[in-house]
Amino acid sequence: MFWDGNIFWFLMGLIFVVVSFAFKAFAEDRGWTLNWWKSLLAALWYWILMLSFYAWGTLAGENEASAGLKFFLFGLVVSIILGVGLWRLLAAKPKDA
Amino acid sequence: MATFQGALEANPGWKLGDPVEDLDFPPPLTAFYSEYPERLEWDYKTFTETIPNNQKDAAIYGPYYTLANAYSYGFQYHGANLPGQQAPPEESDFTIRGNPIPPAVPFKSAALASEFVKEIAHRFGATLVGITRAYEDFFYADSWRGCPPEYDHSNLPEHWKYAVVIGVPMEWDTVLGSPQTSTSYEAYDRVSTAAVRLEGAIKTLGYAARASSPMTNYDLIVPPFSIEAGLGEVCRAGYMIAPETGSNLRTAVVITNLELEIDKPIKFGVEEFCNKCKICAEQCPSGAISFADSPAEQEWGTGSVLRGWEHWYINNGACYNFWRESMGPMGCRLCVAVCPYSRKDNWVHDIAKFADPRDPTGVFASGLLWMQKNFFDYPDAVEYHRPDLGGHFAGFRTEPTFLHAERYLDIDIVSPHEN
Repeated sequence: MFWDGNIFWFLMGLIFVVVSFAFKAFAEDRGWTLNWWKSLLAALWYWILMLSFYAWGTLAGENEASAGLKFFLFGLVVSIILGVGLWRLLAAKPKDA
Repeated sequence: MATFQGALEANPGWKLGDPVEDLDFPPPLTAFYSEYPERLEWDYKTFTETIPNNQKDAAIYGPYYTLANAYSYGFQYHGANLPGQQAPPEESDFTIRGNPIPPAVPFKSAALASEFVKEIAHRFGATLVGITRAYEDFFYADSWRGCPPEYDHSNLPEHWKYAVVIGVPMEWDTVLGSPQTSTSYEAYDRVSTAAVRLEGAIKTLGYAARASSPMTNYDLIVPPFSIEAGLGEVCRAGYMIAPETGSNLRTAVVITNLELEIDKPIKFGVEEFCNKCKICAEQCPSGAISFADSPAEQEWGTGSVLRGWEHWYINNGACYNFWRESMGPMGCRLCVAVCPYSRKDNWVHDIAKFADPRDPTGVFASGLLWMQKNFFDYPDAVEYHRPDLGGHFAGFRTEPTFLHAERYLDIDIVSPHEN
């Protein structure tokens, strides 16, 4: 099965690497200064979003697709709220700038 | 007559309110009903009202459950052929197929004996294995299998020293069809088979052994042994929740005199979670499970402490009454299916089970419970009942495809869900 097999998780890892490099380029284009803890927060944000998505699939595999969708939507709302905070944090200029 | 049904058939004119002594019960049963008149009412209702109604329902909807019944009977048929105990412990525990067990083969240590017993128990089919002492409190006061009426039950036989507790879950997809299409026999048969195999293996090594299992009957109450053996914690529905399988676990016990290293009871937050959750009580169509905030506050039964052990008590009369109302294989199992702990052992639930007992504030448990009650769909409890009571024989979830009689059988089928 694709969805619970190694290829799926290989692709997810691949996507994570691509997203990481894309995010780095995106931040540089915007003039954001990324340090280690900002990068970690961004990775955590992505992790929360993806976990919600993975949980949807896992619960669907348990014959609980409805609960999975609700869990994903809940995670999406949480991700959007946290994403707004993260954006403002990343976009903030140093006070002496 | 040792059964309510038999006593009623022998005295068909008897009505509720008549003296219970008029029914031809053994004295202990008469004393029981005198002490617990609510059980008399429930049993009277079961045999005079519920079972006749069930027979009418089966005439209409029975074909819908043909495959579920056939699937269940396969397990029941095999389990019924397992060897039981036909003689008192002093005889049957020391014989294999009528022959005396050989001289005992000594183990290097109790720890290694336990390791071996657990290893083969798993290979015999057990999912979970734990070991504890043969606590006298957990044995029946009388009626041990194979014992004549004059047998002295006042003390345990000397060779009843250790209890090897094994557990097997029911299938995850079928149990979700509870209370109608699931079957306890899936796991009854498997755990009984594993127990009988274990009994045989231990005897072959020259030690006494006696399996108590769903298909070979019992001399004891299994859940407290399971809890003392470290398989899980007692739950609101009166039995045990294991970390790995939740309340979806059917258990058996093999009593032996083989010196074993015992396990310790575990705690992983079930007591606190059950006090808050109450989903099983909300869903139980018979109202058999208490809504009390703790075992000490339960409103019925023999009290929360029996022989010095605290436990949750369910209204057995109400529970059994619904067993005989539901369709498909005998029983209900809904409390197993709806329990938040009864979920597959995957990363979503593992995170929850890992974090909950490590959060001393209880905030995480409350959050989990909020998600459980708001994200997961629960039918209204009345939907599980028969149509005349406002239900449609609902299952917690739709039964798996292989139990859909309409898909496979060329017969007339009336679905209770379409009326």
